[in-house]
Amino acid sequence: MDSITTAASVVAAGLAVGLGAIGPGIGQGSAAQGAVEGIARQPEAEGKIRGTLLLSFAFMESLTIYGLVVALVLLFANPFAG
Amino acid sequence: MFNSLITNFFCFDASRVIDSSGLGRELRCLVCTTTIHFHQVTPKGGIFVASEIVEDCSSRDPLLDIDSLDSSSGVKSDEYLELQVRVLRLTFLLTIFSVGIAGFFLGAGVSVSLLIGALSGIFYFRLLARGVEKLGTSRKIVGKVQLLVPVLLVLASSRFPQLHLIPALLGFLLYKPALIIQFLSMP
Repeated sequence: MDSITTAASVVAAGLAVGLGAIGPGIGQGSAAQGAVEGIARQPEAEGKIRGTLLLSFAFMESLTIYGLVVALVLLFANPFAG
Repeated sequence: MFNSLITNFFCFDASRVIDSSGLGRELRCLVCTTTIHFHQVTPKGGIFVASEIVEDCSSRDPLLDIDSLDSSSGVKSDEYLELQVRVLRLTFLLTIFSVGIAGFFLGAGVSVSLLIGALSGIFYFRLLARGVEKLGTSRKIVGKVQLLVPVLLVLASSRFPQLHLIPALLGFLLYKPALIIQFLSMP
């Protein structure tokens, strides 16, 4: 792998993780805030709120995982490496 | 001269104001003591105040009791456990189905990679569920430990050539169809 490909892969890996984690991070924070407020207001609905929060987190965090996988593939299993 | 003044005092017991599902229940919780005050002006100009506690909320509604609330929230968190069990069971079924098909059509190597990815996806989901379970009780944020699972999976696939990357990642994402099915089946 030449130096330009290596540098581009490292920059792309950083961007993939960094930019890909912004949106899910904000979304998870607001979802957790709403869930905790909801549990505090209605403790009897804790099971449903936590279940919905779990599903939402799983969907949101998969976006982070996509970026993470792309970054790791670029770093450790780069298909453009000669 | 005699004046009679009836005053209701609302005794606020903060430890009991937990269940606020209905306003009436909350108000009943707040009115703990009703006191009648008799103000009588004596001939010498002083004020004599006689208080009488008419109603005491000592016999509380069992729904307002903090112990019964704890037990009811325990019952409700069983609902959360049931959701996890349903998702995990569905993920196991999808794993068995997809591993069987991959083993039949694509070979044992792809099938084993798919199985390892699916097991790591189940482990990831379990860690995420544990993080959500602790949210609001012992932690203020959801931990990110579960993100180590796909990292280790990709690193293992880059280290061991027997573990194919694409089948492992597809197997890791097998929990998502189970989540979608569960999400669509929710009332």
